[in-house]
Amino acid sequence: MNAPRHPLKRRSRFTPARLGVYAFLLTSALFFLLPLYVMLVTSVKPMTEIRLGNILSLPVHFTLDAWRVAWQSACTGLDCQGIQVGFWNSVRIVVPSTVLSILVGAVNGYALSFWKPRGATTLFAILLVGAFIPVQVMVYPLVRVLATVHLFSSLPGIVLIHTIFGMPVMTLLFRNYYAALPHELFQAARVDGGGFWRIFLQLMVPMSTPIIVVAIIMQVTGIWNDFILGLVFAGTRNLPMTVQLNNIINTTTGERLYNVNMAATILTSMVPLAIYFVSGRWFVRGIASGAVKG
Amino acid sequence: MASTPAGKTLRAPVSHAKRKPLRKRFALAAYIALLPMALTVVFAYLGTMLWSLRTSFTNSRTFASNSFAGVSQYVRLFNNDRWMLSLQNIVVYGILFIVLCLAIGLLLAVFIDQKVMAEGALRTVFLYPYAMSFVATGLVWQWILNPELGIQEVLHRIGFTHARFDWIVDQDRVIYTLVIATVWQASGLVMALLLAGLRGIDEEIWKAARIDGIPRWRVYVSIVIPMLGASISTAFILLFVMVIKLYDAVVAMTQGGPGTASEVPAKFIMEYLFGRANLGMASAASIVLLVTVLAILAPVFYIRSRALRLRDSR
Amino acid sequence: MNSMKKLVVSVIAAVAASSAAHADPLKATVIHWWTSGGESAAIKQFADAYNKAGGLWIDQAVAGADQARSTAINRIMGGDPPTAAQFNTSKQFHDIIDQGLLNNVDDVAAKENWDKIFPPSIIESIKSNGHYYAAPVDIHMPAWFFYSKPAFQKAGITKEPATYDEFIADLDKLKAAGVIPLALGGQAWQEKITFDAVFADVGGPDLYLKVYRDRDVNAVKSDAFKKVLTQFKRLHNYIDPGSPGRNWNDATALVISGKAGVQIMGDWAKGEFSAANQTAGKDFGCFPGFGPHSPYLVAGDAFVFPKTDDPNVVKAQKLLATVMTSPAAQVAFSAKKGSIPIRSDIDDSSLDMCAKEGIAIMKDKSRQLPNPEMLTPPDINGALQDVITNFWNKNQSVEDAQKAFASGLKS
Repeated sequence: MNAPRHPLKRRSRFTPARLGVYAFLLTSALFFLLPLYVMLVTSVKPMTEIRLGNILSLPVHFTLDAWRVAWQSACTGLDCQGIQVGFWNSVRIVVPSTVLSILVGAVNGYALSFWKPRGATTLFAILLVGAFIPVQVMVYPLVRVLATVHLFSSLPGIVLIHTIFGMPVMTLLFRNYYAALPHELFQAARVDGGGFWRIFLQLMVPMSTPIIVVAIIMQVTGIWNDFILGLVFAGTRNLPMTVQLNNIINTTTGERLYNVNMAATILTSMVPLAIYFVSGRWFVRGIASGAVKG
Repeated sequence: MASTPAGKTLRAPVSHAKRKPLRKRFALAAYIALLPMALTVVFAYLGTMLWSLRTSFTNSRTFASNSFAGVSQYVRLFNNDRWMLSLQNIVVYGILFIVLCLAIGLLLAVFIDQKVMAEGALRTVFLYPYAMSFVATGLVWQWILNPELGIQEVLHRIGFTHARFDWIVDQDRVIYTLVIATVWQASGLVMALLLAGLRGIDEEIWKAARIDGIPRWRVYVSIVIPMLGASISTAFILLFVMVIKLYDAVVAMTQGGPGTASEVPAKFIMEYLFGRANLGMASAASIVLLVTVLAILAPVFYIRSRALRLRDSR
Repeated sequence: MNSMKKLVVSVIAAVAASSAAHADPLKATVIHWWTSGGESAAIKQFADAYNKAGGLWIDQAVAGADQARSTAINRIMGGDPPTAAQFNTSKQFHDIIDQGLLNNVDDVAAKENWDKIFPPSIIESIKSNGHYYAAPVDIHMPAWFFYSKPAFQKAGITKEPATYDEFIADLDKLKAAGVIPLALGGQAWQEKITFDAVFADVGGPDLYLKVYRDRDVNAVKSDAFKKVLTQFKRLHNYIDPGSPGRNWNDATALVISGKAGVQIMGDWAKGEFSAANQTAGKDFGCFPGFGPHSPYLVAGDAFVFPKTDDPNVVKAQKLLATVMTSPAAQVAFSAKKGSIPIRSDIDDSSLDMCAKEGIAIMKDKSRQLPNPEMLTPPDINGALQDVITNFWNKNQSVEDAQKAFASGLKS
């Protein structure tokens, strides 16, 4: 029973309002793209040009050397093998950490939002305050704790650490999302005899797609780009790519090759960027509405 | 017999006896499900907070020591000009950053929600800054904002020889440059968050508004944005966390300078923790920071939980 | 069946024979912060020498000196210590010694006669309670004056300045010629280096030691120190407006391209010059101070050996200490690093002009002046750095700066 299309829709799409929308979006896009432009342009210039300091000018001698060096031959200490060394380590850390931290966050948010066990809100409040503690301050005691349970310098250890550090934000994300969903659905499901896990898996998770996408974006970015926690807790066999990236960029008294630094940074960010691009499919309208009607 | 509280649907008394054990089982599952969170809070977070508190009362240097120092670390902290300046800076920075990120994020989300062309590409354009390590992008911003390499120089070259944009070397204005660069990085995430919230809003509402003839922008302002309350509150807290943890940007762009003009609490703590091997003072600073955060969050939390309780009992 | 048994026995015999012939190499995991191309080439000299001597160098580089040191400390605390970790020859690792978390290398020091061949300031910084806790590997001088020869030519400067006043006059000439006189990266540690250079040259070694080593507040309140501060602030007239926040490499780039005249920086800056294919003495010049008796600030790096009872690791630690301080490795390392060797009994013909000059100066013990980091603990160093950067960047009076410096020294 479709209402006839509103005649106003037939009018030209280039109303002033629409033009205004595009103008705003394009101007913003320029602002956002400016640093990327500088990075790309710097990454294809030789150092002799970069030293002259014209950051916005196009390269006189275009060269892709810096990209090759960044990937496979930049020095990161004694070894000069670029950032590719840690790629699979990063993947092995990111995948389980993302899955686990989102799962825990979703369950926490669900329990806090609908079930509200006693004392849970206080725990959540402390968790949230904990999100503000600077990471390095927490590293010190956590090293001791993990050492006691023999998880220091190991892959399970770093996954656990990422889950711990991701818990406040993930829980917040899901809790607030579920709080905004209509509670009638939940009441109805309980009346129908649904239990804690059944309601979660069959009702809530399917409705959570947009927030899961946001959570994936945040966790993949945060964990992939993490450097400190991977360096301290992952153990030397599992060092993520960001450790090599840091070694390339952050020398104290060594010479700095800016073109390589820029190339290395862009290469490292390709994985989160790919996730952003792919996630587009799920930013779809009307996830909750389907459930209400059905 | 427990009486059903006002407002809940009344159950037939016959099934009441059967209902109680079922209820307990439900609640138990919730408690068990929250066990990881409870353990993490107690051992990781609460444990760290208490440990920091304890260390702040000692003379710890590189390692935690037991030499009791009373409140001397706190006294030294509040006599430290850099620390006081860092608190001042973080307040100015925080307000600007949160307001701008929310505003820009909201505008971007709303505009992108208008079924624009190339939505996927636009979304990636606004989100990509979040994907990149600030160590490199911070340096790029330093170059762009440097009067001799960046915007001011470009303006001079194209003819505006008296244009000035040297905030980054100006003691009083350097904090604004940090706002610019970090808003660039974080607005995309706020946009994504609010877009997810927008997309979760029922299509029915749009249809109803169209039928009633309400102009689109009125729908947004009066109906949609209030419904985004939860998303906005999430965004606010995320931004607040980013404000308190501001560190990479400062190190990459200004190193706290010129002089100590762009000092922020997280950088202060980091330096006293590592470079200056003064665990006691760093712990004291962390505790002060946490207490400040608590002082801001606690009333907000209280108001929100009261509002939620009011809403649930209706 | 019988032939199978024979095969197995002969294989086992062969394996046993071969393993008896080669002892397992001594594995050593080493944490350090030398990650750039030039630094990597330098550490390779140590790694190669160690591997040749029967070891197996496992590299664990972490960029950023603070980061590397805290990683080492975290690993020690987590029960997974590296075999060796880099620190500066300074008071940075004395807390770790006090906690009993380091092995000493007394026998290596005795065997190699460290007391005779290392400079006294280095010995002092690696020794505690009569034991040697670190193997020093290089000497860096943080306050060299590098200058661009083309820029000097353009300004009509024909010889290196012999006094501080001549230096100021040269800066004026550079300014008049349209060149940035002093290329400075406006970061607190770089400003501190500039200050220490002026302090050592204008204030003199006695005042310097009274302030940094003896922490004599009266020395800070003296007129001589006031003069040091004033002369230091004078340099502010010779920097360009884009200076604040700039990386030291970008300042060197200005000198390399001739846009700026002088940079006051450590001898590690030579790495940037070589990366730009410039040679000392031809494209750029270097001098360590003013006059034939100018003080030579001594700073450096050293490797400490976290405590362990595993005999193989202890053996590896001793081998590392021996190899890294041996003459051949020292020369090879210094050539790539830009530093000068810690021992005086080497052949310096393969090193560059500035390094040769540094080595010659080091032979005169009276000119050696320890870096502030060797004399004061890290948090006092930091407090003084804050004072200097404030004085440099704000319109603070010299008297106020003096007072702030004095209270920083006491904190």
